[in-house]
Amino acid sequence: MSNSVRYDDRSPRLFFIAAVVWAVVGMLVGVLIAAMLFMPALNLAPYLTFGRLRPLHTNAVIFAFCGNIIFGGVYHSMQRLLKARTFSDTLSAFHFWGWQLLIVAAAVALVTGTTQGKEYAELPWVLDIVIAVLWVTFAVNFFGTIATRREKHLYVAIWFYIATIVAVAILHIGNSMVVPYSLLGSYSAYAGVKDALMQWWYGHNAVAFFLTTPFLGLMYYYLPKAAERPVFSYRLSIMHFWSLVFVYIWAGPHHLHYSAVPEWASTLGMLFSLVLWMPSWGGMVNGFFTLRGAWHKVREDPILKFMIVAVTYYGMSTFEGPMMSIKSVNAVSHFTDWTIGHVHAGALGWNAFLSFGILYWVIPRLYKTPLYSVKAATFHFWVATIGLIGYQVSMWVAGITQWAMWRAFEPDGRLVYPDFIETVVRIVPMYWVRLLSGLLFFAGLLVFCWNLFKTIKSAPADYAVEPDVLAPPLVREHVAPGAVTPANTYDYALYSFQHAIRHGFHRMLESRTVTFTVLTALALAVGSLVEALPMFFNTSNVKEIASVTPYTPLEVVGRDIYVREGCYNCHSQLVRPFLYETERYGEYSKAGEYVYDRPFQWGSKRTGPDLHRVGGKYPSLWHVRHMERPSSTTPGSIMPAYPHLLTSHFDTSLIGAKMRALRTLGVPYSEGEIAIAADAMDTQAKAIAAEVESQQGPTGLADKEIVALTAYLQRLGTDIRWKRPVAQLPYAAGVTPAPAPAPAVAGGGASR
Amino acid sequence: MAQYEDRVLHELDGIKEYDNPMPGWLMAIWWGSLIFSAAYLIFYALSFGEGTMDAEYRAETVQTVTAVQSHFDANPLVPPSPAELLGGAANDAVLAAGESRFARTCAACHGDKAQGLIGPNLTDDRWIHGGSVEQVFQSIAKGWPAKGMPPWGRALRPDELAALVSYVRSLQGSNPPNPRAPEGEPFVAEAIPGR
Repeated sequence: MSNSVRYDDRSPRLFFIAAVVWAVVGMLVGVLIAAMLFMPALNLAPYLTFGRLRPLHTNAVIFAFCGNIIFGGVYHSMQRLLKARTFSDTLSAFHFWGWQLLIVAAAVALVTGTTQGKEYAELPWVLDIVIAVLWVTFAVNFFGTIATRREKHLYVAIWFYIATIVAVAILHIGNSMVVPYSLLGSYSAYAGVKDALMQWWYGHNAVAFFLTTPFLGLMYYYLPKAAERPVFSYRLSIMHFWSLVFVYIWAGPHHLHYSAVPEWASTLGMLFSLVLWMPSWGGMVNGFFTLRGAWHKVREDPILKFMIVAVTYYGMSTFEGPMMSIKSVNAVSHFTDWTIGHVHAGALGWNAFLSFGILYWVIPRLYKTPLYSVKAATFHFWVATIGLIGYQVSMWVAGITQWAMWRAFEPDGRLVYPDFIETVVRIVPMYWVRLLSGLLFFAGLLVFCWNLFKTIKSAPADYAVEPDVLAPPLVREHVAPGAVTPANTYDYALYSFQHAIRHGFHRMLESRTVTFTVLTALALAVGSLVEALPMFFNTSNVKEIASVTPYTPLEVVGRDIYVREGCYNCHSQLVRPFLYETERYGEYSKAGEYVYDRPFQWGSKRTGPDLHRVGGKYPSLWHVRHMERPSSTTPGSIMPAYPHLLTSHFDTSLIGAKMRALRTLGVPYSEGEIAIAADAMDTQAKAIAAEVESQQGPTGLADKEIVALTAYLQRLGTDIRWKRPVAQLPYAAGVTPAPAPAPAVAGGGASR
Repeated sequence: MAQYEDRVLHELDGIKEYDNPMPGWLMAIWWGSLIFSAAYLIFYALSFGEGTMDAEYRAETVQTVTAVQSHFDANPLVPPSPAELLGGAANDAVLAAGESRFARTCAACHGDKAQGLIGPNLTDDRWIHGGSVEQVFQSIAKGWPAKGMPPWGRALRPDELAALVSYVRSLQGSNPPNPRAPEGEPFVAEAIPGR
């Protein structure tokens, strides 16, 4: 074995360049949808609508931009931290090209409406399998490199990479369980409340283990490198690593406060979110205090500027997060733009800023040439910072305004703003501020690209030559089992254990990769199992409601259209138990109402009103006209028009396969029902089309998608009977308000 | 801020690690959040379903119903007089308010020109529940829930209700295209003063 290694710097270079390219794409789509959100004319149905492009934006910035940063950063830093070349160049190349092709395929899928309808997990099941294969490739390459390392102890960055690889694998597989009905179509293995819990276990921990732990690992490598200062506290690294990995996984249900999810689950989510405060801030403190003695450098160095704002924003977001997880605060922030502001504070302030800092530091080193323009980098910093603050503040204002308007009551018990549209129009100025802030951030990104391009152009011809790095191989004693040698006695074993533990238990753990990885997986498993298992084995968590029946074939197809168009990106299907919500929408949502919802469609943001009780609220013609031109029924509406629904035929060819897939999951469709499904669809569609015609609406809709969608919308929330707690006003003599609230639910089991 | 020893423990790829203790205030956050959460969990478990979101919702509802009742005890609701409602039909500002509210609330069922859709035509001289402005006001405020007409007295402001009645009165005989067939009893519309 030679005494030196050569690092593979080609893969990091490729990943980093891809990251920059996808950053431009992802943030361009972000700016575009920020405009499309409140300027409906910019939506070009069917392909370029907010509902389809918003998942493209989130997937592009999370998995394409941040993903490539993670891969590039891990491949670059792990070789140096492990003193070993990446396990396999072939696997690296497969990983790189596979990931880029996946992103292109994902973009095509999302724009064509091929989606599973679960946030940040929208991609069709075939692409989910591709993700799994590529993630395993990454894991083999990573753990293979660890196995061939020439550095005995794993540095804290490597711990965070291990947690990332293990957790993302568990989350991705756990949340992507489906029963397919075609090459691209599938239904979630979980229904309603369970699907919601699984999804936010995944969604919250995607933030944890795709946007937090890998970036903390990167921070632990690149921040001390750029600042040329020692890491502040090794003990703090240990403490906050293990507490973060153990606690984070529990926090997901805080996305489901005041929902139909059982209260014990969301309560646990809240409490573990509060406990998460210190583990999160541990990373911030180690980052900040590492800069002790280097603050004067921050004034001159744009790299440190980016990194210090990143750490600051990490600290702010991980303080805001626990606060928003408190039930009474969440009652304010949930479904409003506050949430949007919060995620962008994290994604732009922490992930993007840290990525910019890393790239400004690493690209000149990978190309063996100084950064082309430090001035341009400083300019980028200030432009991006102004954009970031503008984004966050505008969304705070918009969010609080929405909440205040939604809940405002007159003294006589009326909503001050009974028309939802009033609460939308009021915050449009904030959407302008957000758009301009996003444009600023994007302008900074373009300056960044130009600067990196110029830097790479000025690279010397021999930039790709990989120098030898001195790294003697680790000496390992191999003793044949059963051999009689001094090294095979209990005394020797005791001695070597004492030797190993002389610097502490954790130091010993750092040299035992398998044990370390197993412990990490166990820490992740505890919270996951404690929260998930009771949902599946204790039926009292989802009380059955006898009157809730499966969707008709036409409603199934209509629901698929609802999912395809991404309606959940702007409309919730969850009425919370607040008087101002039941007054506006109707009785609050019960767990038993969602048992046939695969996937659940509760949404996380109300740009438009909640739709869970929309069934029967309007005549069918209203829905037809609303989809064709929303402003015709709701003056001032910012919803995109969906005229293609009135002309395209709904799909009947897959209904048998769809119903069989649903039956596999436990929906009680009989073989007879499946056999006559096409006829049943035809009958129901004709009835709705006839109703629309009788209301002087357009004719010839009986086989069009609008009828299927209308069938689904008219069904929504109508399985239980309910009435308003305050039904009447004393306008005429003898008419008084109802004296007391009546239990609103029929069907026995539903009332709590 | 405390002075730290800054003793170097390890070095790897040029990165040194100090052996500094964890800051006390950070540990205070840790123990504070743990103690708070444990206490919360104990109180939550001991409450045995009291203070659940459903119980909170019911309490909120009772409180609001009581508050609304006492509001109306103190400020009795007096329906506007026919003279006011008819006078509104000659007032452009009232008619504009009525038209705007009609487009947002009523057009879905009665048609954008009140020609009738799922609900009856409001422009002809036939009325199912009476065509006097007083009766129309009561129909809008109390609704005819059995027939699908929701009560709007809860959702709309008194002046909006009145403006709606004035606006509907002003549409009498407007003969919009595609009218729904006449229903109900004939009623001769009351005269609008000044027109």
